[in-house]
Amino acid sequence: MGIRNLLFEHRDVENIQDIAVYEKHGGYRGLKKAVKMERSAVIEEIKTSGLRGRGGAGFPTGIKWSGIPQNDDKPHYIICNADEGEPGTYKDRELMLKLPHLLVEGMIIAGYALRGTAGYIYIRGEYVEPAWQVRKAIDQAYRAGYLGKNILGVKGFNFDLYIHMGAGSYECGEESALMSSLMGERGQPRLKFPHAPYPTVEGVWKSPTLINNVETFCAAAKILDMGGAEYARLGTERSKGTKIFSVSGHVARPANYEVEMGTPLMELIEAAGGVVGGALKAVIPGGSSVQIVRAEDCPRVNLDYESCQQNGTLLGSGGFMVFNDRTDIVLLMKRTAEFYMHESCGKCTPCREGTRWIYKILDRITSGGGQPGDVELLLDICSQIDGRSYCGLGDAAAWPIVGAIKAFREEFDYWIAHKRSPVGPGHVPPTPEVVNPLLTLVPA
Amino acid sequence: MATTENGPGALEPRPAPPKEQRFSLNAIQELEEIASHYPERKAACLPALWIAQREYGGYLTPAAIQEVADRLGMSYAEVEGVATFYTMYNLRPRGRHHLEVCTCLTCAVMGAYDVVHELERALGIEVGGTTRDGEFTLSEVECLDYCGAATVVQVGDRYFTHVTADNVLNLIEELRQSEEYTPVKLADAIVKLHLPGSSQTGGGSRTGEQIRNNELY
Amino acid sequence: MSQFRLTQTPPSLNPPSDRMVRVKINGIEVEVPNGENIIESAKRVGVDIPYFCYHPRLSRGEAANCRMCLVDVYMPRKNPDGTETLAKMPKPQTACTLPAAQGMVIETESEQVVRDRKGILEFLLINHPLDCPICDRGGECPLQNNTIFYGPPTSRYIEEKRHFPKAYPLSEYVVFDRERCIHCARCTRFADDISGDAQLAFLKRGADMEVGTFAQTAYRSKFSGNVIELCPVGALLSRTYRFKARPWDLHTQKSICSRCSNGCNVKFDYRLEQLLRVNARVNEEVNEEWTCDRGKFGHDYVSAPDRLKTPLLKRDGEFVPISWTEALDRIVEQLRQAGSNVGGIGGQRCTNEDNFVFQKLFREVLGSNHIDSRLGRYQGPVNRPLFERFGYHGMGNRIADLENMKTLFVFGSELVDEQPIIFLRVRKAWRFKGASVVNAVTRVEEETTKVADFAEVNLIYRPGTEMALLLALAHVILHEKLLPKNASTSALAQRVGDWTPARAAAETGVAAEDIVRAAHLLVNGPMAILVGRAITEHPEFEALVEVLGDLVVATGNQGNLNIPGTECNTQGAMDMGVLPDVGPGYRPIDPPGMNTHRMLEAAASGQLPVLWIVGAKLVENYHDADLARRALENCPFVIVNELRLTETARMADLVLPAASVAEKDGTYTSCERRVQRIHKAFDISPDIKPDWLIFTEVAAMLGGTPYFSPRDILRDIAATVPMYAGISFRSLGDAGIRWEYPAGDA
Ligand SMILES: Cc1cc2nc3c(=O)[nH]c(=O)nc-3n(C[C@H](O)[C@H](O)[C@H](O)COP(=O)(O)O)c2cc1C
Ligand code: SF4
Ligand code: FES
Repeated sequence: MGIRNLLFEHRDVENIQDIAVYEKHGGYRGLKKAVKMERSAVIEEIKTSGLRGRGGAGFPTGIKWSGIPQNDDKPHYIICNADEGEPGTYKDRELMLKLPHLLVEGMIIAGYALRGTAGYIYIRGEYVEPAWQVRKAIDQAYRAGYLGKNILGVKGFNFDLYIHMGAGSYECGEESALMSSLMGERGQPRLKFPHAPYPTVEGVWKSPTLINNVETFCAAAKILDMGGAEYARLGTERSKGTKIFSVSGHVARPANYEVEMGTPLMELIEAAGGVVGGALKAVIPGGSSVQIVRAEDCPRVNLDYESCQQNGTLLGSGGFMVFNDRTDIVLLMKRTAEFYMHESCGKCTPCREGTRWIYKILDRITSGGGQPGDVELLLDICSQIDGRSYCGLGDAAAWPIVGAIKAFREEFDYWIAHKRSPVGPGHVPPTPEVVNPLLTLVPA
Repeated sequence: MATTENGPGALEPRPAPPKEQRFSLNAIQELEEIASHYPERKAACLPALWIAQREYGGYLTPAAIQEVADRLGMSYAEVEGVATFYTMYNLRPRGRHHLEVCTCLTCAVMGAYDVVHELERALGIEVGGTTRDGEFTLSEVECLDYCGAATVVQVGDRYFTHVTADNVLNLIEELRQSEEYTPVKLADAIVKLHLPGSSQTGGGSRTGEQIRNNELY
Repeated sequence: MSQFRLTQTPPSLNPPSDRMVRVKINGIEVEVPNGENIIESAKRVGVDIPYFCYHPRLSRGEAANCRMCLVDVYMPRKNPDGTETLAKMPKPQTACTLPAAQGMVIETESEQVVRDRKGILEFLLINHPLDCPICDRGGECPLQNNTIFYGPPTSRYIEEKRHFPKAYPLSEYVVFDRERCIHCARCTRFADDISGDAQLAFLKRGADMEVGTFAQTAYRSKFSGNVIELCPVGALLSRTYRFKARPWDLHTQKSICSRCSNGCNVKFDYRLEQLLRVNARVNEEVNEEWTCDRGKFGHDYVSAPDRLKTPLLKRDGEFVPISWTEALDRIVEQLRQAGSNVGGIGGQRCTNEDNFVFQKLFREVLGSNHIDSRLGRYQGPVNRPLFERFGYHGMGNRIADLENMKTLFVFGSELVDEQPIIFLRVRKAWRFKGASVVNAVTRVEEETTKVADFAEVNLIYRPGTEMALLLALAHVILHEKLLPKNASTSALAQRVGDWTPARAAAETGVAAEDIVRAAHLLVNGPMAILVGRAITEHPEFEALVEVLGDLVVATGNQGNLNIPGTECNTQGAMDMGVLPDVGPGYRPIDPPGMNTHRMLEAAASGQLPVLWIVGAKLVENYHDADLARRALENCPFVIVNELRLTETARMADLVLPAASVAEKDGTYTSCERRVQRIHKAFDISPDIKPDWLIFTEVAAMLGGTPYFSPRDILRDIAATVPMYAGISFRSLGDAGIRWEYPAGDA
């Protein structure tokens, strides 16, 4: 347990972004192994590893891969979700920036195993620098014959990799919205199973489509290299391998840390140099969408899917935010609510109307207009959104509020009763409501 | 009564905006190359809007939207719907430098609002505004996802990290002198990212095809 | 060409399945087609699931966003030991998109579902202005209805609501109240799925999201009025009806649209003798539930202030009002003098009953065969081009059949203007059923809605080169041997000559490879041809129809050549025998009378003492307007039945105020030969008479047998016209009856 640099093994090697250096450090070994195997054996290897999706939901990757039809003649698309937008998360950024070839290799392996026609890396528009490293990696991979026609001499293994840049929308990280966006539409989600077939059967352009997170593809490349069984020896019973956590907030050394699954939460705080500016107050372990954990509960939490869930939170995307005791939780939640209000795509009623309502209530409370009953109202609105919305964004908007009220109810009550912050002047000052005048087209 | 562009008194819809064709030959080639990456032309809508944002000087005019729609075979309203959905498409002019301060969770906790207020004070504008001289536009943005380096400010294609209320004025000074990090550069960088070979050859419509056939190397 | 939609992934309407599955809804077991929406399944057992965004005719792509239809769902799950248990799905599901599956159990009234609905309605109402008292939709508003039945009694929302200007104008016909919009995406999906102009779209996102047109320009759809009916709240409203009435004060009468030949089923909503709005009635065979803007907003003439309300006689160049007694006396006097040398023109916009009495007056009472309803260029023997060869007039296909074609060939037609509802079927065939469309037109207009937008091949030819184009298409089909060996191609082979695509390209201006591509599509059957005005008004009309006939025969598509009429009763007027060479039921008349053109010539040279024009705008629309003008000038006594003082009427000697579609009973026969009933809604003035009544009164005065009502006339029609045998007001019902030619008549 503890820090275990698996994907990050060569992160700090100089010029590891260059294909020659990467190859010298064992790069593309996984791919070379893979193309000598039966396609089904590659999928089997992923299954053996027990890898679960690192994008947030933790869906078993092997099962997803085997969902792609084996014997059809439709094109198959391999999509990498690099739209990292979850507040608190910046692991994909570093992976692309430092280890672009690992991602490219992982995607080519998927392309081989799933008879992929083309791959798309959907990168959020703001990530120009990381995307540039991926661009270079792809160009080098073409030159080295890892992409293009008859890759590594395997007859008929043709695979192209494209970059598709987003343009500023968190919702496009949601996989069906990402598909809409990739197809040139507004980034709004699409019908899901059981209302429509799984993307692995009918995804983009009505063809089988695999969508995985950057870290998932990187892990897949490693797994092929080291062997699924070896990978599975890391981690816990049901959470295998390692996970990268983006530590931020009130710690001495905020950075990405790769830890073995099951590592105690406190150990990660230690690794990041401990809490600064005060005592530990709370941790959000998996990005803004998950429930906040009080300091006193932290020692019970291990960083794996099960332990997090048992303790009322989620592992999520690994956006690990640490807050000291000067942090005002209500203001923090107001800012969280603002994020979801701003990022809601607007398609479905509960999310569109509910996220704004939540924000307005929290804004009122933190401007000194709180009323008795507001907390119950907030809980009620959240329950009306959670599970009722079209995609996970609605849930993600409700969970942190409910979690914060559960954990820090007294702070909400304090705000309502005293019209001021329980922690003195907060570090998140109230802001006027954002009306974005830049969001309308200039009339002709 | 609330007023918007079509306030009370504006009783008829607006006339159709004049059409323009501002895509350069090079831009058209880029668009064709990018369109060839997808089974449907429409999929090139986002990249095409990036190209338009570059070709129309950093923001999308109604004519830019018409040009994209015409080139991709989409309806104007549909393309406007796309352009207004994503926050990085500018629908009105921005300053030469567009300061986008992340005020999302960690940045906020680490003092991003102090940075915003300092900028508002120093530039004499409010969030959403542009300085008189057209140098700076100030915006708040949602998480830029480099939370470990809070506060993060995006300017053009570049992230500036560890910005604080104390050092932000240096950043302003630096930018005043700089020709880099403009909205047009950002759009250009994003367009280039779509083009195969652009990291080595600068990309182009023919190279994409050749690269895919392993002919170029 | 502005807004071309080159490629797209067609969405699927829920495909009907042959396989039946058993589901249980609120404890009631029912067998439904596999994959059917649970909303529809629930309707089968009388269970109401409230909804806003769901609409059976719109694709599901953007749907399931209002979340009003959430239900609890239990799925059967196999245990390892082979038994089955029911597992509740962790989240409630939208019934509007949930496909029925074997063993599914649905609960629509559980405590949770009831609570969820309240929650959704609360969300929808927090930003809604709640201005029902001044909302046009009040009283017929799904949002009001669902709130009454499922909504929360109070609101907990105390924050500021969203504000927008009220009544924002979207177009000439539609205003938009953005505050009331609930973002159900019905209007935007309509624009995309049905009318195809995609001019309405969602702009911005999140709570700022709104429906809009591009850069606030006008919503220029030919079908914009439909969104008013589709909108489940009072957000999209009719500019012409706004603030005119409360729905509960309106009277409604079923009718048929009078503005084109497609025969849309509509409702006339009126109050105090004013026709206030026209809404669609569902007829799956005809308009489904759509109307075009011409139909929806084009009936303003009915209640126009300048409607004629008394007969007018021209004295010294001025019209003076006269009584009906005097008018009828005048007519009888003139007719007596003229004997059988009288002409009658018109009837395309009159009912079958009007027309039947019209021709009967001429043939049986006056003894004249000079009667014609045709105003187009082709006035030759009516049975020749189509009937003698294929045994039908007008359309071979039902409108509804068109959606099942693999290929549709639209030839020489601005389809959306000429046949709006047929246009929608053609588009449906393409969008939802994968048909390919070949479009041949002389030019593509800068229009928002057109066949060219979705046609696979557009053949844009020089006017007048239709024949060359057609022969080249045939040339490709024959020379590339695209047809099976046993196809009867001999007739076609004789004609094509050396019209190679290359030669035709030079002649027509169409690229040779486009001709080849089109030809390859045409052999992909079933294929239907739709012919438009450029052909029917062509000097070589007969020859073109012959070649088109050869083409359908060769490709094995007999009966799929369609030449729809233009006016609401073009077909009926012909059926009733308002033609010089055939009587009712196309019985040949010997000797034939003069056709329209010859009558006008005779009148122009002063050889026709009386000309009776019935609802025909000759001066305005006749292709030889000069001739029409001279005819009216030189004819000693011109009678015109009209609603308003048209230019033609102005040149008449006697103008008779006739009843409009809303003021009379009767039947129209649509372009697909569907006989449909119109109902009288109101009387505008006691001095306005339906045409049949005018004719029958004149006939009676001249010694003929009078008719007493349209019902009475239809009885006679059914007895006289073989195709109408058995048709009565009662048998027509709401959907009408499409008459078929008796078998073996061809
Ligand atoms: C609102 C929302 C935002 C999401 N954002 C991201 C994201 O930025 N990056 C990501 O990889 N997955 C994101 N996801 C998760 C994806 O939907 C999807 O589960 C993931 O891409 C699957 O890849 P994996 O199996 O490798 O985890 C998001 C989900 C939701 C509901
Ligand atoms: S205007 Fe009406 S139909 Fe359109 S989205 Fe709003 S509520 Fe729905
Ligand atoms: S009717 Fe089902 S979600 Fe709207």
